Amino acid sequence: MNFPEELKYSKTHEWVRFEDETTAVIGITDYAQDQLGDLVFVNLPEEGDEVTAGETFADVESVKAVSDVMSPVSGVVDAVNEELADEPQRMNQEPYEAWFIRVRDVSESEDLMTAEEYRAFTEEG
Amino acid sequence: MISKLSIFREPAEYGDPYRNLALEKYLTFCAEPEECILYLWQNHRTVVIGKNQNPWKECPVDHLMEEDVRIARRLSGGGAVYHDTGNLNFTFCVRKQNYDLSRQLSVILEAVNSLGIPAVMTGRNDLVCEGKKFSGNAFYRSGDHCFHHGTIMADVDLERMFRYLSPDPEKLKAKGVDSVRSRVVNLKEYCPSLTIPLLGRKLEEACSGVYGLPAEDFLRERLDPDKIERDRAFFASSGWIWGRNLPFTHQIQKRFSWGDVFLQLQVNEGSIRDCVCYSDAMDQGYIESLAGRLKGLRYDRQEILASLEAMGDGTEEERRMTEDICAFLSEKLVSVKTPERDENFEKETGNERV
Repeated sequence: MNFPEELKYSKTHEWVRFEDETTAVIGITDYAQDQLGDLVFVNLPEEGDEVTAGETFADVESVKAVSDVMSPVSGVVDAVNEELADEPQRMNQEPYEAWFIRVRDVSESEDLMTAEEYRAFTEEG
Repeated sequence: MISKLSIFREPAEYGDPYRNLALEKYLTFCAEPEECILYLWQNHRTVVIGKNQNPWKECPVDHLMEEDVRIARRLSGGGAVYHDTGNLNFTFCVRKQNYDLSRQLSVILEAVNSLGIPAVMTGRNDLVCEGKKFSGNAFYRSGDHCFHHGTIMADVDLERMFRYLSPDPEKLKAKGVDSVRSRVVNLKEYCPSLTIPLLGRKLEEACSGVYGLPAEDFLRERLDPDKIERDRAFFASSGWIWGRNLPFTHQIQKRFSWGDVFLQLQVNEGSIRDCVCYSDAMDQGYIESLAGRLKGLRYDRQEILASLEAMGDGTEEERRMTEDICAFLSEKLVSVKTPERDENFEKETGNERV
């Protein structure tokens, strides 16, 4: 299982890459995609939508199962990876390239883990 | 570990799919950390589509509207199913740490087996009898809260089921999840004395057996009627049923005496977001104004026809083109109505309620 050092991780299995103090890119982790199985669909928010730390901002569908994806930060959706909607399998194949959204004006963040802490967290089960 | 087993039986006066979906959501988020809530419920004639499906692609929407069959969108994934009161639905509401699909499915299997029915599980989490499916299952998770729900076909009207789940062969290009067709069977074929109340009792007994706990009645005081009513309104809203953020493209074409017309409607959340119109007709100005007219309208036959008919002015030739196009679109498009309160739908009779 791959957990890049430069990313931060949430308890609900999203990764965050801070581009600067108030801009964050969000996706789901390798562990999340492995647990979910083959993903066939993603619902993404729209540019300009507000997201709130700890609340649902997207959802993904694997075989007959819909899972909500929580936002690790609060802010405004600055960009949406529309290509992901056409190729949902990319979330399985390259979870750290398959970003969901970029958030600007980040005002608040969940308590995030380092790669090492997150690895230990996933191993606890 | 689950230490509390609660059973919620839908009161007999309901059967409203939007209320049932709202209740299901409420129960999912109200389950205590070590509690399993088994919710048993039924819908009057309804096609229930998966969260990420396009209703126009899954079912003949206009026939459903004409015959007062409701369309509902659930929270879980997967394909379209048809419910009537010959069908019993179950939902297991549990926290993530207690979610155990095979254990939950074993409740259904044990209940059905106890009636002498030779049911088994298959790979796609379906329950089958002699290779024919009688129960489809789907799943939803949000944070620590999960549900697993499914149908049990006891005595469903199969003729209606096939009709309502066969879409019109229209050219719809859409993102979203497609249904998988299965051969189906009613359990009544294996157990002629089967009734919905009997099946409900067997499910309760099997649940109690599998979890090794007495089944308690869910206390109605735990419900928040205002919250459930708000969620009901959400599930019944046209934005949720007809679209959400699920864009699709409807392409239609026809040869008229005055030229070929090719129309491409891009629809999202029930509205025509963009319209492209090609034609080899002489009057290109008219064709452009047609595309401009359609853009922004709701994807609804009445609204579109009303708007085109208002184009009234123009040359005699243009009026004839408008008439032709209206007649054609009236065949191809569907009227969309927002679901009314449940009382307005014709109630089914003949089946006892759970």
